[in-house]
Amino acid sequence: MSNDHFEPHIIAFLCNWCTYTGADLAGTSRLQYPPNVRVVRMMCSGAVDPVYVLKPLIDGADGVLIGGCHPGDCHYQTGNYKTRRRYVAMHEILKASGLDERRVWLRWVSASEGQRFAETITEMVTALKELGPNPLREKWAV
Amino acid sequence: MNSVIPVENNDVLSTLRGFLRKLMESDLIDALLVPMEAGDGMVQPALVTDPTLLESANPLLPIMPINNARAMSAITGKHAPARIGAVLRTCEIRALVELVKLQQASLEDVLLIGLDCSGTYELAESMAQGAWNTERRSTSMTTYLSAAHDGREPDIAGLQLRPACQMCIHPVPENVDIHIHLFGADTTVVLALTLKDEIAAKLQLAEAPAGEAWNPEQGRVAADSIIANRKQVREKELGNIRSRMTSNGGIASLFAACIRCHNCMTACPICYCKTCLFKTASFDHEPAFYLNAARRKGAQRMLGDTLLFQMTRLNHMSASCVSCGMCTSACPSDIPVGAIFSAIGEQVQAAFEYTPGQDVDEPLPLITFQPHEWTDIGEEK
Repeated sequence: MSNDHFEPHIIAFLCNWCTYTGADLAGTSRLQYPPNVRVVRMMCSGAVDPVYVLKPLIDGADGVLIGGCHPGDCHYQTGNYKTRRRYVAMHEILKASGLDERRVWLRWVSASEGQRFAETITEMVTALKELGPNPLREKWAV
Repeated sequence: MNSVIPVENNDVLSTLRGFLRKLMESDLIDALLVPMEAGDGMVQPALVTDPTLLESANPLLPIMPINNARAMSAITGKHAPARIGAVLRTCEIRALVELVKLQQASLEDVLLIGLDCSGTYELAESMAQGAWNTERRSTSMTTYLSAAHDGREPDIAGLQLRPACQMCIHPVPENVDIHIHLFGADTTVVLALTLKDEIAAKLQLAEAPAGEAWNPEQGRVAADSIIANRKQVREKELGNIRSRMTSNGGIASLFAACIRCHNCMTACPICYCKTCLFKTASFDHEPAFYLNAARRKGAQRMLGDTLLFQMTRLNHMSASCVSCGMCTSACPSDIPVGAIFSAIGEQVQAAFEYTPGQDVDEPLPLITFQPHEWTDIGEEK
């Protein structure tokens, strides 16, 4: 598949209090961003179990985005600090096991940062177009 | 302090049994978790309250049916109901430390007895070879113990150490109340112990001067020689696994033979979750699901989500993986699960500068945090 025609699929897990609200703001502000993302609203980025990220990735999604409040701003005080450590662990594991850790992103986007959300999606779509389709999309034996 | 108990008739097992019995009768513990002979040439861990039954205790037999950290979790829970003693191998102690941090076991009122460990053998092979049955036991045991004395790999006819033991770099127990020495110790003459002073006083054991049969320096030299050898084996084995993971096919090809029986998870001392997602009906689907999934990729593996299962387990427990290799021993498809988890776990542990099983007061890497760490993550742009 030529990458020019390749439209990546992104699954995003966004925290209710910051990034989801930020995405909402992007919409109500009529900001334009690529329509490649499917959003799952979570109460906290700290509630994103690794299995939620791995399932779409192994099933063939091209990218997974975790969105949470900026450090220090977590609605539940410390959820996003734990997200950050889990993300570090997951990157190590994906790297070590030969899967592509560059497909899993973590971004802090606050409720007021609609513009940053739109830019994050744009940036991610560009990066994933460069990476090309997730090879696991073709792999049935997993 | 160091102490020795003389061994009579070249029978260190009897001496050890006598010591354990004395321990139980000394009012230091109410019950003892210890491997007990269960059939000819086989042991099973048991919680013993009757000291006379220790006549069939056999912690020396190098067979490990389960990682006893699991047993300690069952016995102690949030708080041990009595004073428990436990004779454990080093990987069991380290797994137990992790379980305590995971709030699945307690060390309060627990007296840990750690054994120098030259390694253990697979159950099925041990039974098939009859290496430890009445006929062959004394020869096999002599070979095994004299190798520990010399700091050599044991060489039992027809048997190979479990793969995890072949590359174990922690054969000497740490954080124990009583340390039973096999490395560098002449067990034909003495049972050598290092114990806390108050325990020695209760047992009326005197400080032993360093002697011919055992001295601490000799023990260290023998242990170091074993560790040096196993570090090499470990590096080589994990290197093999790593190159297979980064070559064509990746980790999925390593799990090609996985039948998703979950034996690895069941045998794992760290995987404690009673409501594990993979034991629920979350992965039982309506018939139409399979057809849709097949249409998406062109085909659908019918034992689906095998890689998801392994990758999830890696994310959940590899920071605490103590490389006991019970998963490999439990795998019916002979997948080197333990080596895979060790190879990846080592990298996760390095990222957090964490050594599982080392320090019960050091917080688990995934439940603690520092506000000002990895500050570039999430901030790009």
